[in-house]
Amino acid sequence: MHTLQTKHLTKHFDTVKAITDLSISFEPGKITGVIGPNGSGKSTFINTLTGLTPITSGSIGVAEKVELTSIVSNDMPVYGITRTFQEVRLFEQMSVLDNILVVTTCRGWFKSIFEKHSAYHLAIAEKVLKRVGIWQFHNKLAVNLSYGQRKLLEIARVLAMSEIGKAQVIFFDEPYAGLFPEMVKLVSEIMKELRSEGKTVILVEHNMDLIRELSDKVIVLDSGTLLAEGNANHVLSRKDVVEAYLGE
Amino acid sequence: MESIVPQLMANSIIAGGIYALVALGFNLIYGATKFFNLTHGVIAAIGGYTVFYITKKNDSLASFFNQSIGGTVFAVLIGVLCAALVGYLLDKFLYKKLRDRKASPMVFLVASLGAFTCLQAFLAILFTSQFQTLGGGAGDIVTYTIFGGIITEVQAIVIVSVVVIMLVLGIFLKKSLFGKSVEAISDDEHVAKIVGIHTEKIISIVFVIGSAIAGLAGILVGYDTGLEPTMGMGLLLKGVIASIIGGIGNVYGGVLGAFLLGFVENFGIWKISGEWKDAIAFGLLIVFLIVRPQGILKR
Ligand SMILES: Nc1ncnc2c1ncn2[C@@H]1O[C@H](COP(=O)(O)OP(=O)(O)OP(=O)(O)O)[C@@H](O)[C@H]1O
Ligand SMILES: [Mg+2]
Repeated sequence: MHTLQTKHLTKHFDTVKAITDLSISFEPGKITGVIGPNGSGKSTFINTLTGLTPITSGSIGVAEKVELTSIVSNDMPVYGITRTFQEVRLFEQMSVLDNILVVTTCRGWFKSIFEKHSAYHLAIAEKVLKRVGIWQFHNKLAVNLSYGQRKLLEIARVLAMSEIGKAQVIFFDEPYAGLFPEMVKLVSEIMKELRSEGKTVILVEHNMDLIRELSDKVIVLDSGTLLAEGNANHVLSRKDVVEAYLGE
Repeated sequence: MESIVPQLMANSIIAGGIYALVALGFNLIYGATKFFNLTHGVIAAIGGYTVFYITKKNDSLASFFNQSIGGTVFAVLIGVLCAALVGYLLDKFLYKKLRDRKASPMVFLVASLGAFTCLQAFLAILFTSQFQTLGGGAGDIVTYTIFGGIITEVQAIVIVSVVVIMLVLGIFLKKSLFGKSVEAISDDEHVAKIVGIHTEKIISIVFVIGSAIAGLAGILVGYDTGLEPTMGMGLLLKGVIASIIGGIGNVYGGVLGAFLLGFVENFGIWKISGEWKDAIAFGLLIVFLIVRPQGILKR
């Protein structure tokens, strides 16, 4: 069973061929590692699957039956797809707590005029912020957080989406970059938890030790094409893969 | 000789009040959509002309709405609703389409300039370019004296409206989930979408609220001084200057900027010709853009 798959997915920016003819499927309860040299199209791949950049050609299959040739951002929660960003994106002028509450509470727009968050939503927010260890900063504005705290808040947001049932497929775009060792451990635990909950986890990461530790399957991109796909140890020992990395 | 200062104060506060009403709506819409909505000015004019139509131009309607004070209030309400409706439709049939296409800010600006010009032309066609007033004759104007300055009943209503709308809007945006959603859209619209905020519905409502406030501003200008089809641009520019010097995207900032602008304009022409008013207003804007581009109150 596949929760998400791409068919001949292609994304070209004018002359830059960021993604060319990618047909890949992702499975629930698995962590798929996506690796490749800088500029190989990893982030672009995520962006096309999450409505940030329109697709040039090809299609995306979600929820088994639906076949999309374009996906807009508003659809993502509907299809249960969510993500983090390589360059963290938060609601900067809002408090840490509000960054999560606005996710957990938003239902009908009409109700939102009259409603405040309930104890239930507050409990979810508290839970996810405690999980990533930044609850003590919940009154701080997001813009005032440190680099690592910002990364953790973004992960907390993903967890909140998961708690309210809007995240089946989760993309992490280099979530470990710049984190301290103890935070790295925490994030790895969270990845494994999400896997055991049956989520489809896609992890873009440059650190091969983490890829080996976490990935059930690895996909290697090179210049926007699929270079290799398969078991982590097998793929990482392939000569062409090593060369693609060293040759960058 | 009696001092002119109290009257200058009164004039400043009244001008500031009108600018504040325009700034409140403009700021709200700008905060959520981040584009320079030129049509905001003509929507104010539409509010004013709607009231003009039902209380002055169309005789059978006028006899109904002019019966009593209640009729006048009802007419104002219809004017406000009409402005809100035009704002809603503009968003639905123009700005939303552009957002869907991820149009550049330049396209938004040109499109809103086009819509502005069309709507203004419609007003001129329907109502001629002649100056029209909404109020009755000069004889029955009720005035109040405050600290030696004279203000009319309409002007008192302007000031009360500004304070009430500012407080209600400020508290509503701060406390409600809706306000938080607006804030989220303002910070990062893409992320707001992917976390499931109904961005388009919320932006629609923001247009309705913002345009309603603009409509009220236009109506009050109509009662205070009068209406012209071209009044929109002047009002808009003053509202925008107020928003920028007060702090764009900030409810209280826009109002603060509006009153500052009112005071600087009116005291600026104390000893010189009134023609200088606009030059002073834009001079103030330029000073702020250079010295404090984020405005008095940051968002
Ligand atoms: N918006 C854009 N416009 C034009 N070119 C782009 C755009 N976004 C990405 N690219 C190009 O597409 C290619 C792939 O970039 P992408 O960011 O997807 O790589 P990446 O694998 O995520 O790299 P990194 O490991 O550095 O994050 C690069 O050549 C990049 O310059
Ligand atoms: Mg990248």
